[in-house]
Amino acid sequence: MKPNVKQPARLSAQSPSNRLWGQPLLWGLLLAICVLGIPYAEGLFRWFEPNARQVIYQRAHFYDLLGRHLLVVGVAAIVTISLGVGAGIAVTRKKGQDFLPLVSQLASLGQTFPPVAVLALAVPVLGFGTLPIIMALMLYGLLPIVRNTLTGLQDVDADMKTAAHAMGMTPLQTLYQVELPLAAPVILAGIRTSVTINIATAALGATVGASNLGDPIIAGIINGNMAYVIQGALLIALLALTIDSLFDALQSKIRLHLSSSPGDLARHSTR
Amino acid sequence: MSLLDALPTPRLGRGKHPNVVLVSLSVTMLAAVWGLDAVSVAANRIVQATGVSAMDAIGWPGVLLASLLIIAVGGLAYQPSRTNYWAALGVVVLILALMPFGLMVAGHFLIDPELPQARLGIGAGYWVLLFILMLCLIELRLKLALRRFWPVVILSSIGLVWWLCASLWLSDLALIQEFKARDRQFIQAALEHILLVSVAVSISIVVGTLLALLMRRFVKLQKSAFALLNFLQTIPSLALFGLLLAPLAWLAANVPILAQLGVSGIGNTPALIALVAYSLLPMVRNTYIALEEVSPDTLEAASAMGMRASQRFWQVRLPLALPIMLEGVRITTVQAIGLTAVAALIGAGGLGTFIFQGLGQAAMDMVLLGALPILILALVVDAGLGALAEVLRPGGVR
Repeated sequence: MKPNVKQPARLSAQSPSNRLWGQPLLWGLLLAICVLGIPYAEGLFRWFEPNARQVIYQRAHFYDLLGRHLLVVGVAAIVTISLGVGAGIAVTRKKGQDFLPLVSQLASLGQTFPPVAVLALAVPVLGFGTLPIIMALMLYGLLPIVRNTLTGLQDVDADMKTAAHAMGMTPLQTLYQVELPLAAPVILAGIRTSVTINIATAALGATVGASNLGDPIIAGIINGNMAYVIQGALLIALLALTIDSLFDALQSKIRLHLSSSPGDLARHSTR
Repeated sequence: MSLLDALPTPRLGRGKHPNVVLVSLSVTMLAAVWGLDAVSVAANRIVQATGVSAMDAIGWPGVLLASLLIIAVGGLAYQPSRTNYWAALGVVVLILALMPFGLMVAGHFLIDPELPQARLGIGAGYWVLLFILMLCLIELRLKLALRRFWPVVILSSIGLVWWLCASLWLSDLALIQEFKARDRQFIQAALEHILLVSVAVSISIVVGTLLALLMRRFVKLQKSAFALLNFLQTIPSLALFGLLLAPLAWLAANVPILAQLGVSGIGNTPALIALVAYSLLPMVRNTYIALEEVSPDTLEAASAMGMRASQRFWQVRLPLALPIMLEGVRITTVQAIGLTAVAALIGAGGLGTFIFQGLGQAAMDMVLLGALPILILALVVDAGLGALAEVLRPGGVR
């Protein structure tokens, strides 16, 4: 039944989906232009800091910093998503049900921990560098993912699951072919929140020696150089907007997919 | 196939099914006691501390006692009933209360009184144990369906025991030594931190509520205001603090009245502005949603009873919206506590000062002295406002 479900959706979603990717493309292009163009825009930044000796952050290339920023956020996101979605799935199964209240409490506790404090507490254990910031981001980003996975999976109509069972699906098939696809938009929304918050939070890593786009900001604050701060902030904001619009497009695509697949189980539940 | 397989499985009563959560938590605690370093010892505040296992730190009687107590928690949870849960709660509280004494014993064994600089650090095993005991408390609270009021009582009495031990006997502990070296500074920083957070949150409550009310009146405003607030959140807090430095410094230099009012590029003013800017989104969002989500039926009933518009707002809409608005205050405050720590970078003071000074000097105990109170403050505020929201929920405490 799988090909049946997917084919028509992809066809009908084709034309609007082209429009969907326009915005992330635009932001991404702007980000690329800034990353490559800032070193040549001395005149512009001179305007903010007429008296400074340097107005362009020189200690590292911006594309290097961007790469490291993405790496930190990406690693944290992969770990958080597998942990968060995994935990969400585990505690909504029969065997893991007992852990449900604890896991949801724990996830909300995770966001109560201020990232700076987690960062500071992680340094003695993990040393200076990239590991503490990944740890802090993981803890901070876990709540939205766990919460949305739980909501998404719990909101799947019990009748749908019974129907899947009656059709002879194993619990695993039910999970992969019914529950997860239906919960996907909600789970994706959680991942979106988590990743967007973490792009901004990752800048804190620069205070413990993880070099990323936070570096120019810290250097700017310490040296009193506004131009550095603006460069770091601009790139981080653009990165956040790019990733956020990417998720936006992905969500719209999934929504289109769910609402326009004729034979799909999903259509019935969205009513 | 034996006969047993053919028989219908007897449905176990709810109470008989072992509590897997507590059992696995107690197994993890045992692993932490036996497998991880309980404490660490350092000759002074800069050198790398060496880890010491629980066996070496508190001797075999101590480890035996700890293991027995932990096994008791698991054992009681294996055959759960209300009495057993209460007993397990008692044991967990007992372990928590005994933990500082473990540190005292360890200090007695491991710290040479001849070395005034020598200090005892808290090791990974100890932290893990503490954390899992908290999880046990959460699980027991949920299982016993206790009100939020109880954990406050339990935790504050345990806190009292800890505080007594810390102030009377735990002078070997690195954290305490660090505190004693700068106690005035610490208290001032803590007060500054709390003051900054409360001023920022109060301002954002007022401004946020006004904005939300305006948005309800002028629908066109809604979209652009939310877009602006969302955009503010994508700017990293660190950058927002930095970006405010220059304009404020310029203002202070060129508008003397503002300078007299205490506006300057560095210090409290940029911190406060950034904190408010950051706090507005959760505040406005929750207030707006809270006011909008009051059911139209209820409002209709109110007008049918002859209430005027203002009465409807003050007597129906606002009280019904209050718990969700309070949720916004909770999120905002917890976030502001963390952000204020970052504000230390631009000279706003507060507990973050210790974190960044400590990081600069590679003195981890000092970092801990800043980070731990921030963490505790965030947890306390979270629990306190959560409890308040529970009380204010229409119909009162469930």
